[in-house]
Amino acid sequence: MTDSTAPGGQAVELVINGIAVRAEPHMTIVEAAWAGGVPRVTGVGCLEGVCGSCRILLRRGQDVSVALACETFAEPGIEALFLPPPAAARHQYELTDFTDGWDIQARFQEIFPEAVRCRHCHGCVRSCPKGIVVEEGIALAAAGRFREAGEAFLECVMCELCDSACPEQIAPAHVGLFCRRITAFFHLRPPNLIHRLEELRQEPFSSSGDKESA
Amino acid sequence: MKRGLSLQAALAAYRPDAELAPLPEQIDPDRLLSFFHPDHLRDSVTTLTVGPNAGAHCQRELAGLLQAEAVIDEVDLAGAPVTDTDVLVIGGGGAGCAAALAAAEHGARVLLATKLRLGDSNTVMAEGGIQAAIEPGDSAQKHMQDTLRAGHHAGDPALVAAMVGDGPEVIRWLIRQGMQFDQTASGDLHTRRAGGTSAPRIVHCRDYTGLEMMRVLREAVAQHRGIEVWDQHPAVELLSNERGQKCVGAVLSSLADRRLCIVRTRSVILATGGLGRLHLNGFPTSNHLGATGDGLVLAYRMGARLCELDSFQYHPTGLVNPPYLSGKLVTEGIRAAGALLLNAQGQRFVDELQPRDIVCAAIIRECREGRGIHPDTGGVGVWLDTPRLERGQPGLLERQFPKLLARTRVAGIDPRNEPILVYPTLHYQNGGAVIDVDGATTVPGLYAAGEVAGGIHGRNRIMGNALLEIIGFGRRAGIAAALSGHDRGPKKITLEHVNRARRALALAGLPLDRRAPQLLPPYTAAGKNS
Ligand SMILES: Cc1cc2nc3c(=O)[nH]c(=O)nc-3n(C[C@H](O)[C@H](O)[C@H](O)COP(=O)(O)OP(=O)(O)OC[C@H]3O[C@@H](n4cnc5c(N)ncnc54)[C@H](O)[C@@H]3O)c2cc1C
Ligand code: SF4
Ligand code: SF4
Repeated sequence: MTDSTAPGGQAVELVINGIAVRAEPHMTIVEAAWAGGVPRVTGVGCLEGVCGSCRILLRRGQDVSVALACETFAEPGIEALFLPPPAAARHQYELTDFTDGWDIQARFQEIFPEAVRCRHCHGCVRSCPKGIVVEEGIALAAAGRFREAGEAFLECVMCELCDSACPEQIAPAHVGLFCRRITAFFHLRPPNLIHRLEELRQEPFSSSGDKESA
Repeated sequence: MKRGLSLQAALAAYRPDAELAPLPEQIDPDRLLSFFHPDHLRDSVTTLTVGPNAGAHCQRELAGLLQAEAVIDEVDLAGAPVTDTDVLVIGGGGAGCAAALAAAEHGARVLLATKLRLGDSNTVMAEGGIQAAIEPGDSAQKHMQDTLRAGHHAGDPALVAAMVGDGPEVIRWLIRQGMQFDQTASGDLHTRRAGGTSAPRIVHCRDYTGLEMMRVLREAVAQHRGIEVWDQHPAVELLSNERGQKCVGAVLSSLADRRLCIVRTRSVILATGGLGRLHLNGFPTSNHLGATGDGLVLAYRMGARLCELDSFQYHPTGLVNPPYLSGKLVTEGIRAAGALLLNAQGQRFVDELQPRDIVCAAIIRECREGRGIHPDTGGVGVWLDTPRLERGQPGLLERQFPKLLARTRVAGIDPRNEPILVYPTLHYQNGGAVIDVDGATTVPGLYAAGEVAGGIHGRNRIMGNALLEIIGFGRRAGIAAALSGHDRGPKKITLEHVNRARRALALAGLPLDRRAPQLLPPYTAAGKNS
């Protein structure tokens, strides 16, 4: 799969999970780990940056950052460390627990009490590989503006790198997802869908009729 | 393959406002398919000699896995810890999550075991959307006809009827789980038209439909009090009763330390998805890393009948460039929105909204006959004309296809100015385990839902029907499994079906050194030493 050597490309030496690896240039960190036989790299899923599994810590000289390994390329001298999957969530809720949209702000505060304690350290924003305005999203959620907050997290892949960076343990990705979910749960009432459901309630679909087939 | 143009030459010649000649007259679709579709490649198909489908056609590499030895034996099970549960769901994609939620809603204790992390799946990557007949001019009947026709009438009408009838209710259920969909200004669900269909019927969440679906279902499953989740615990074998005739559990292996554990249960739901990572016929794939066809292998050894094992969907528009994204998808939604396909001569060669197998075969024909575009890094492809689309509808790419822009940005390509090079990629397994409308396979106690199941899409699937199927049939299987009768008394768990399969292999003179399921592709470090 990884015959991606640019003609004449120089091999790149880097360290992955403490193991020295020689990779071809243009390889991603995932491909480099495979090529180098680094064992137990199972935090890999879609290989296109949407499943959020291949979380790594990266060291380039003094500079330490986090990233997704399938979107990060082998560079000479860097060190990459695959991170364990995110810890189990601290919050607990089921959407069916909510019956009344009017008290949703109060319920949000109960479920995510940390959200109002954001200290605007930008840790989450700096660690997000998807360029999401995490901090702004959290402020919107804390203000009860759930629809807008949820929209900010549209491209969130739930890697939870932001969570690892948050000193207040706000679990920003889960806050964002909560905002998206309750917006759909309480507000998405599309007339075309509702109309069809009502038609089907009155006359359930049965294929045996074949009324319309010509 | 005749040599076409180099990428540089083709780019230099490209103009987004160039005049296009009318579409040339199209040859008979059956001839096109038989000459150019990968399913019809010489040597790609063989005949199975053992098992419930003995005598049937099967893709060659898949046949090798279906007729292989199990990876474990009775001795391996000694001392393995045993866990009891009502329903075991194997696979944590969309079908598995829907099945787990439905079973739990119906009072079952559910264990969901998955190979990688919950949600690492083909589902999370789906872009285009999900089909449901909800527009005024549309109907379940039309949806059914489109599905059967696109599948060359090989689909099972009863299953298709169940799926299309579920459509609107599936969307409501997803909204109740907290999934968002794009709306029009008046609040209706926004719909797009998919290739090979008679009405706009695709509902979607921008081009992140699968991501939105998967993160919502993952959260719903993780938060559900009645569902336990075991990540990184692939199933390596099923368990049967003394006579090897009923499925009573499964053997899981921890990816971290390869320790085995036994799960004993009333019903097992296979939701292991597809097999793109087997790279059939040497094609790149759009699939996630865990798509190695394990469910087919396990079901077949247990004695479940499978169908359409020689029919796969190659998606017409896989990326060719850069190499590390080779095989990754450009959503069909973009052709639905009006993007054209052009060969190296800058001309159209197929109606872009024909069913996928036709479009695929047409692209392969252009490339084989010397009208393809060749980048230095290898491979070949044709243009997907995104700049022309952007010119016609300024801002469309940014508004409706942010995922495409995000991905190509990393690769240094801006599809608003530069057309995208595409070539068919192994995308979807059309067939799978034979099921009934409850998702029950031909083996008692064993259910299958999602891409691992077959019978709905016939020999070709239209876009958006997979996401509908996984939720519709995932829920059906979950409910049936939860409500299936309790057995009295302690159950005996055995590997009798494995012994039976081994006897059959030996009798047929087939080699016993090949083992399956594969779990991970051989080019991963973990796949190498397994
Ligand atoms: C890039 C892409 C885009 C797509 N776009 C669309 C679209 O727009 N519309 C549409 O309708 N369809 C689309 N499809 C198809 C659709 O996404 C899939 O067919 C569908 O999501 C499959 O769902 P599933 O739950 O059956 O399998 P998956 O979502 O693949 O889940 C299977 C799960 O089982 C796990 N697993 C595998 N083997 C084992 C094992 N041995 N033990 C335990 N767990 C195991 C896997 O790790 C995975 O978590 C697309 C597919 C791809 C790849
Ligand atoms: S918001 Fe957090 S979880 Fe979402 S993509 Fe960014 S870092 Fe990952
Ligand atoms: S890391 Fe946490 S505390 Fe810091 S800005 Fe982000 S949400 Fe606020």
